[in-house]
Amino acid sequence: MKPLLKFFVIPAGWLLLALAAVAAEAPSGDTPAIRQQLVQTILSSGADQQKLLGGLSETGSKLVGEVLLSWSRGGVYLYPASDGSQVPVLLEDSQDATGKARAIRISDGQFLKDNAGKELRFGDSELTTADTDMRLRSTIRQTLDTLDLSSPDMDTRWSAVTKLGNSQKPMYVPILQARLAKESDATVKRAIQEGVASLQLNDHDPAAQITAIKQLQALNSIGNLQTLQKLAADQKSDPQVAKAARQAVDSIQSHIWWVNFFGTLFRGLSLGSILLVVALGLAITFGLMGVINMAHGEMIAIGAYTSYVVQNLFGTGFAFSINLPFSILGKQLGFGLSLPGLNATGWFYQSYFLFVLPMSFLTAALAGLVLERAVIQFLYRRPLESLLATWGVSLVMQQLFRMVFGANNVQVNSPTWLLGHCSLNDISFGYNRLFVIGFAILIVLGTWLLLTKTPLGLLIRAVMQNRSMASCMGVRTTRVNMMTFAFGSGLAGLAGAFLSQIGNVGPSLGQSYIVDSFMTVVVGGMGSIIGTVYSALGIGISDQVLQQLLGSPVLGKIIVLTCIIFFLQWKPGGLFPVRGRSLD
Amino acid sequence: MRKPTNFELWFVGAAAVLLLVILPGLNLTPPGTLLHVSDFTINLYGKYLCYGIVAISVDLLWGYTGLLSLGQCLFFALGGYMMGMYLMRMIGDLGQYHQPIPDFLVFLGWSKLPAFWQPFSSFAFAMLMVIVLPALVAMGFGFLAFRSRIKGVYFSILTQALTYAGCLLFFRNDMLMGGNNGFTDFKFMCGYDLRQPAVQRGLYICTVLLLLGTYGVCKWLTNSKFGKVQCAIRDSENRVLFSGYATAHFKLFVFVLAAIIAGLAGALYVPQVGIINPSEMATDKSLEAIVWVSVGGRGTLIGPVIGAFAVNAMKSWATRAYPDLWLIFLGSTFILVTLFMPRGIVGLPAQLGGLKKRWLNRKPVDVDPAVTPKEAELAKPNPK
Amino acid sequence: MNKYLYSFAGLAAGLSLATSAMADDTVKVGILHSLSGTMAISETSLRDVLLYAFDEINTAGGVKVGDKSYKIEPVVVDGASNWPLFAEKAKQLLEEDKVAVTFGCWTSVSRKSVLPVFEKDNGLLFYPVQYEGEELSKNIFYTAEAVNQQATPAVDYLLAQGKKKFYLIGTDYVYPQTTDLILYKYLLLHGVPIENIGGGLRKDADGKVISAGKYVPFGHTDFQQIVAEIKQFAASGDACVINTINGDSNVPFFKEIVAAGLTPDDCPVVSFSLAEDELRSMPTKDLVGELGCWTYFMSLTTPENTSFLKSWYDWLGTETHPGVIKEKRVVDSPMVLSYDGVYLWKQAVEKAGSFDVDKVRAVLESGDISFAGPGGKITIQPNHHATKNVYIGETKANGQFKIVKTFDQVYGEPFMLKDLDAKLAKQ
Repeated sequence: MKPLLKFFVIPAGWLLLALAAVAAEAPSGDTPAIRQQLVQTILSSGADQQKLLGGLSETGSKLVGEVLLSWSRGGVYLYPASDGSQVPVLLEDSQDATGKARAIRISDGQFLKDNAGKELRFGDSELTTADTDMRLRSTIRQTLDTLDLSSPDMDTRWSAVTKLGNSQKPMYVPILQARLAKESDATVKRAIQEGVASLQLNDHDPAAQITAIKQLQALNSIGNLQTLQKLAADQKSDPQVAKAARQAVDSIQSHIWWVNFFGTLFRGLSLGSILLVVALGLAITFGLMGVINMAHGEMIAIGAYTSYVVQNLFGTGFAFSINLPFSILGKQLGFGLSLPGLNATGWFYQSYFLFVLPMSFLTAALAGLVLERAVIQFLYRRPLESLLATWGVSLVMQQLFRMVFGANNVQVNSPTWLLGHCSLNDISFGYNRLFVIGFAILIVLGTWLLLTKTPLGLLIRAVMQNRSMASCMGVRTTRVNMMTFAFGSGLAGLAGAFLSQIGNVGPSLGQSYIVDSFMTVVVGGMGSIIGTVYSALGIGISDQVLQQLLGSPVLGKIIVLTCIIFFLQWKPGGLFPVRGRSLD
Repeated sequence: MRKPTNFELWFVGAAAVLLLVILPGLNLTPPGTLLHVSDFTINLYGKYLCYGIVAISVDLLWGYTGLLSLGQCLFFALGGYMMGMYLMRMIGDLGQYHQPIPDFLVFLGWSKLPAFWQPFSSFAFAMLMVIVLPALVAMGFGFLAFRSRIKGVYFSILTQALTYAGCLLFFRNDMLMGGNNGFTDFKFMCGYDLRQPAVQRGLYICTVLLLLGTYGVCKWLTNSKFGKVQCAIRDSENRVLFSGYATAHFKLFVFVLAAIIAGLAGALYVPQVGIINPSEMATDKSLEAIVWVSVGGRGTLIGPVIGAFAVNAMKSWATRAYPDLWLIFLGSTFILVTLFMPRGIVGLPAQLGGLKKRWLNRKPVDVDPAVTPKEAELAKPNPK
Repeated sequence: MNKYLYSFAGLAAGLSLATSAMADDTVKVGILHSLSGTMAISETSLRDVLLYAFDEINTAGGVKVGDKSYKIEPVVVDGASNWPLFAEKAKQLLEEDKVAVTFGCWTSVSRKSVLPVFEKDNGLLFYPVQYEGEELSKNIFYTAEAVNQQATPAVDYLLAQGKKKFYLIGTDYVYPQTTDLILYKYLLLHGVPIENIGGGLRKDADGKVISAGKYVPFGHTDFQQIVAEIKQFAASGDACVINTINGDSNVPFFKEIVAAGLTPDDCPVVSFSLAEDELRSMPTKDLVGELGCWTYFMSLTTPENTSFLKSWYDWLGTETHPGVIKEKRVVDSPMVLSYDGVYLWKQAVEKAGSFDVDKVRAVLESGDISFAGPGGKITIQPNHHATKNVYIGETKANGQFKIVKTFDQVYGEPFMLKDLDAKLAKQ
């Protein structure tokens, strides 16, 4: 373990150094005048501040962008200098062990030093932040947006354009048109056209208005639908304008219908993938092995908590302590654990999730192993009773989670590469949603390969089909049972690791998925992995479609449940019943 | 299936006297005296006994017919809701808003009573619905399920789905059944003030009587020829089927009967605890009922009642003595009972005796005459 | 050998301590919260702060009634997020333990469940969590935020910030339903056109709106569809979301909001059920700038708050009550309102010179009982609610709030619907 740890820590250390260097040196290329202007803006207030901000937008400087951005996020601090004046500073990204960081003066880009020339370090609560309110921030935003118009990054330009377009302020029209001439990217061009058209809707000349409406219709602008509807209904507007607006409204509405249609399909696919990921472990423990594992949800929770612990180990470390309400000789009983953290930052911290996946599989598999040895192995002949015992296990585990991690949900931050989304023709695809679909495909493939292409898979199938016969043939059935259950639990752990990225991580996390998981396995047909795949996708998509149609998430779910009940009347063995010749 | 032994008769008789005569009698003694039983205790026991009735209904299905239903609490709650609707009407204009309709309807913007609420002003109608609604739901669901020969784990999961759907439905405020808050703040029942200890005592006695009645009916039923068929279905349904019995009809009858029993228990439960809301239908409530049966001893009729009493008494005690640890106690009890006491508390003496004899040959966990190997096969996947 | 001697000495000391504590008069006080089940998430913290308040009072000499002083003996029971069990436990506290007062409940349904018990046994309950109003029991004192101390100030602030479109979303139960209905009427009254109120409206047969907003069941995890709808709603700008989702569902909701790229600059979300305690489990780095509205924020810099926080953390470091988590603790509004409740009750008891419920209530109803709590001055009104300061805050990356607006001493008004209906009718 030791050398391994070193291997991780050293590159992280270099990275920190590199970051620090960038922070201290990069801004020095900018002119002192801009820096002074920035300081002035931060220290002023009211209308002056708004005006100064306007001036800043004309500089086009990258530095201005950076400072304004961190200002709007509360990252600019005021250091009271010895002469009573306020010195605006930024805090460096990298913090030392006590959570303090060096301060960079905005006025010259140098580190703040005390009289002896020693660099000062501050925690973020030791300095007062330079305040902003919503209105000021929106001005900052606008300044940044106009700055961003010339950003080399396409996404930044695009969102800048959209914001200006939505601002309803005709003053931006010339700015945008100037940009349009220079713009090379198609998406941004489209956004600029939409923005310009949206701004021109407020024009007094009907001809200009109609051109704008036509333009918006061609662009299928959802954001302007309401304005267009108003124009169409407005008695005072020019009849030509109203007619054009009506046409545009119809066209945009049908566009929205299609967006919703494909969006719903995608969302159904992603919900189905989540169901699949969650139910796959159960398809093994319940479907194949016949154990009614009510503790499946807690196996998922173990996976989710593992990602919390791993995240903390990459950060500041993890510790807990429990007091029990019993005491011996006046000394209260209790236990605890404390693990130091790696204090990682940057990409290394962001990559924690890659370590979470194997770790959560292993922890949950280990928990499954213990559960199988301690409880389940006695119950293979009494499957209905495995329901009771495992429910007991689930209660105990929930309370243990509460004692170790607290009754509160714990905080799991998604790595940046799982946040965000991309849009295609107004349908947005979240990265985490795309990830879960890929993830589901991978683990289904993995499970299938394991069960059909490996010697272990052969043994598993043999034992699950006929335990005593396999035993007679010399298969060590206890071991295979153990491995199978551990594998199923491990899959549940993987599901938990993923769920920690889209939902809450808390003691009752498992409970929200347990009914759905059982339903998915039963509908698919017990013992059939491919059945589970189809049923998960089917349930996911119908749930989303019904939700879209009925506008109520609950009604959709109730109808899906009712449909499942009726479906099983029709096909009592599920989608892919495992056929056999024996009559039970 | 088992003939009532002398011991069982004695036990039931003694329990009846204790619950029906001695406890209410002691409740009448002035507070502060040594043997006084407080109103609180009487009320609490009334609640436990309602659970006991539900437990009998679960056992009728599971212990005698081999149907592990995870939906008994749905019927329990439905019965409770029907009674609750009557009780809500009896509040009259004494609610927060002093309007003639229930408070939650006022805040949902209703100014007059919805049509389906109208008849619930009548106690007779409400009581009728207490029986009819659970019976109808059970009949509809049971007919479909048994017709297509759904059994074993599938039946359990399906009943769970049904309960879950019911729970979600009642959680909706648009359902006009009080949503998450359900019904509460009851004041009168048949003209009696529910807050009076005497009325609560009366409800308690009704509960004891219902419990005894349920016990009697089930005892008679399971000892009759019908009971034999029931057990035969549990042990091997196909053989019964091939012998010319329409097993689906038998199962449907038992399922509906169990639903009615649970509904009645729910109707008595609600005025005693003073609230009914959809969380009574949550899936873990049904699981809990099964645990009562398992702890008490399934395949017997006194076992479930003892189990319900024991588990709930433990819950009441532990939530106060060890609020942080009680779930661990509860969970561990279920695990230990399932592993080491397959015949529950009632079967403990016999099990200990048998254990002594067979100490050298067998592991204790294998002692389980209540489950045949055939039943164990049910949930296993069939060989390909 | 020495070790054993010490431990015996320790044991003896412990015993003598215990006996000396017994010698003082004690008064039993009930704590009725869910320590297990789904609501334990929020309610355990309230148990902790109550234990802290009792310890603080006991160290300072206890509750002085006449010339005697009473130590507070807490009776902690677990409602286990099970509403009938709440009623049972309330009965137990009042009838078996005969507690002088009870602090407890979080959800509306738990309060509704114990209300008849408190009215029947003439008990006294202090309720600390923001709620829908439309209730006034003579046995309950609501230190909680009423709708006009949380929801309507937040809307005022958003209107002042130039927001024009409001999307309402909540969990399907009485608090969000009532609050959103009030807000719907309030927004209409302030000139927001009906098409700018998102989430959907439900009408009765006469066409009267009986419910506004989008509702999800408890524990809902899939917000893709709803967030997609919000995104379309907000596409035209100047929109905001009013969030009354309770508990667990907030995490998937906000993760979806972040993933969809809705930022607080374009479309801020103001949440009424997310305080510092809940933010601990949220990805706060991505939520900077989202809004909250409470009558207390931990980031207040008043001397009362500073000293409160200091002694709270000191207490956490030394206390030995079972089950109190010590790591990463914060304080939030329901906790402070619980704490305030204890002191308000103590004052009332001392003024009344008795623990008798009727006498204490009479004193509390006089309107003279106020306490300089961590969140500012709080005064019990004759209508059992409390006048207090209301703050609006923006979330920061560290899970705290930056206070952006303060409304001083807002009178708690439980019944708003009727009033708004009358005003709307006039328009």
